[in-house]
Amino acid sequence: MNEPAAEPSRNGNAILEVEGVRKHFGGIHAVRGASFEVKRGSITALIGPNGAGKTTLFNIVTGFYRPDAGRIVYDGTSIFGKRPYSIARRGMVRTFQITKALAAMPVIDNMMLAAAEQPGEHLPTLILRPMAGRKREAAVREQAMRLLATFNLDSKADDYAGTLSGGQRKLLELARALMPEPRMVLLDEPMAGINPTLGRRLLEHMEELRERDGVTFLFVEHDMDVVMNHSDEVVVMGQGETILVGTPDEVRADQRVIDAYLGGGGSTETTEEGSADAR
Amino acid sequence: MSPDIPVAIATDFLTAWGFWIGVGILAGIYGIFTLGLQLNVGYTGILNFGQAGFMAIGAYSAVILVVSVGLPFLLALPLSMLITMLVGLLVGLPTVRLRSDYLAIATIAFAEVIRIAVQNSDSLTGGNQGTISLELDNGRFFSDTWFDASTWISENIFEQIGLTDTDFVNLPLLLLIWVSLAVLAFGLSRLVRSPWGRVLRAVREDEDAARALGKNVFSYKLQSLAIAAGLGAIAGWFLVLNLQSVNQTQFEPIFTFFGYVILILGGLASFFGVLVGTVLLWIPLEGLRFMDLPLDGGQVAALRFVIVGLVLILLVAFRPQGALGKKEEMVLSE
Repeated sequence: MNEPAAEPSRNGNAILEVEGVRKHFGGIHAVRGASFEVKRGSITALIGPNGAGKTTLFNIVTGFYRPDAGRIVYDGTSIFGKRPYSIARRGMVRTFQITKALAAMPVIDNMMLAAAEQPGEHLPTLILRPMAGRKREAAVREQAMRLLATFNLDSKADDYAGTLSGGQRKLLELARALMPEPRMVLLDEPMAGINPTLGRRLLEHMEELRERDGVTFLFVEHDMDVVMNHSDEVVVMGQGETILVGTPDEVRADQRVIDAYLGGGGSTETTEEGSADAR
Repeated sequence: MSPDIPVAIATDFLTAWGFWIGVGILAGIYGIFTLGLQLNVGYTGILNFGQAGFMAIGAYSAVILVVSVGLPFLLALPLSMLITMLVGLLVGLPTVRLRSDYLAIATIAFAEVIRIAVQNSDSLTGGNQGTISLELDNGRFFSDTWFDASTWISENIFEQIGLTDTDFVNLPLLLLIWVSLAVLAFGLSRLVRSPWGRVLRAVREDEDAARALGKNVFSYKLQSLAIAAGLGAIAGWFLVLNLQSVNQTQFEPIFTFFGYVILILGGLASFFGVLVGTVLLWIPLEGLRFMDLPLDGGQVAALRFVIVGLVLILLVAFRPQGALGKKEEMVLSE
């Protein structure tokens, strides 16, 4: 196995530190050594050709897959091997490549579900202190409506999420991810399948949230214009490894990135890992 | 009957009060039984096929606690419910992580394990003979507490309004069961409209999405299963009170399937749909006993199920959401 590409400095400037993370499924090494940092308050893109292990890495970082080895530190504490709900409660929320709108639930319920610290979600509290849940519920509804309004979805609040268009679902998923007031949001191909106007609005929202609330974004994206124009840093993966971490300009000029995309092979041996990125 | 009309229905069955009260009791018992399935299937998306097993544990543990352990009836009931809920948790621990179809297989196997264990542990349950004696050492019976109450209700209420016939002897039980069913359905409807219920529905829609939003899906599934088990236990008590005996044949898998038929008839994700569904199942199923056909008893019995099956097929074809289910939720869940 290769050594991690760069030794992450354990500085307080990074909200997420990933070091030497590996994951295999049977004989397929989906991630063979991923190391990078995400700076607090940055918009960081994760790019790489199909099968590079981007989605697998997302699933590892958010706890959906248990890594074989490595170090994952979020906001100063290790989240290695922690369960997804526990990671989400620490303020790191993700979206999915294939949008997971809760179709048979109204839009407003989708939103309110995501709120953090709702005592009414716990059966004993719900029965013994019903007012606690009701009070929080009113605040949550207000917050949900405010967020829906920013995403121009407030008129759809009472519609079933399944009746929304694909682009609206993407917006709903982002709005929903913001309900728990996360400090870091991971977006898996947020622009895929939505029209350019909606995509632009999504990017504007991301930048605004970063400016206003200091939210950190890590997103997987294939659209190079978006990556180059809207991210502060780019992490490039190829064949299960992080090849390069740098600014968009550095990445654009790097021969290894070009090799990875054109299938040149570069310095890493070529193995079959067709389904590694699929989920 | 006129020989010219091969199929005819006598009308005097409509006034066979004792019979219809019995049907109402069955409908009520399986209504409570199905409330648990509704919570699991309609709201949490877990295919619990072991509800008859939970009913068995509730029924047998209540009887054993009173007859063998000697606890008072009114203490034995909540205790038996607690035991059943704990079993629900134990069954859930290794199984709720399974994909839905595997969960269905695991729970049906659990229910059969319980039933066959009951069948074979003679000293505890009376074994295959069916019943442990419901008689206590002091000459009282398992359910005497209820009979005293039942007699009081009959004497002070029903006989006052002229219902003195022996046909009405089970009217207090019918009342108790349906009041319980209505109260439970109302309570559960409130519960699933809470933030807690919203998490359950999210688990039904997409477990991974719920996890990504910080919800402990495993815990919610366990809670759902334990509550369903508790409802199964309540149905089990009423079964014993109604039959005056307890027999393992009452807990065969077919009764869980009856519960699913009630679910489909009444509609998914509606507790009041369960009340409608159970009436829609039991009235035709039992009422068809009165069909006056040139067939022998066994054939008529079989025909009842053919007809109920036909009704079910027609319903699924023309009103798939059932009586009170929401069509949008059904279509959008795909």
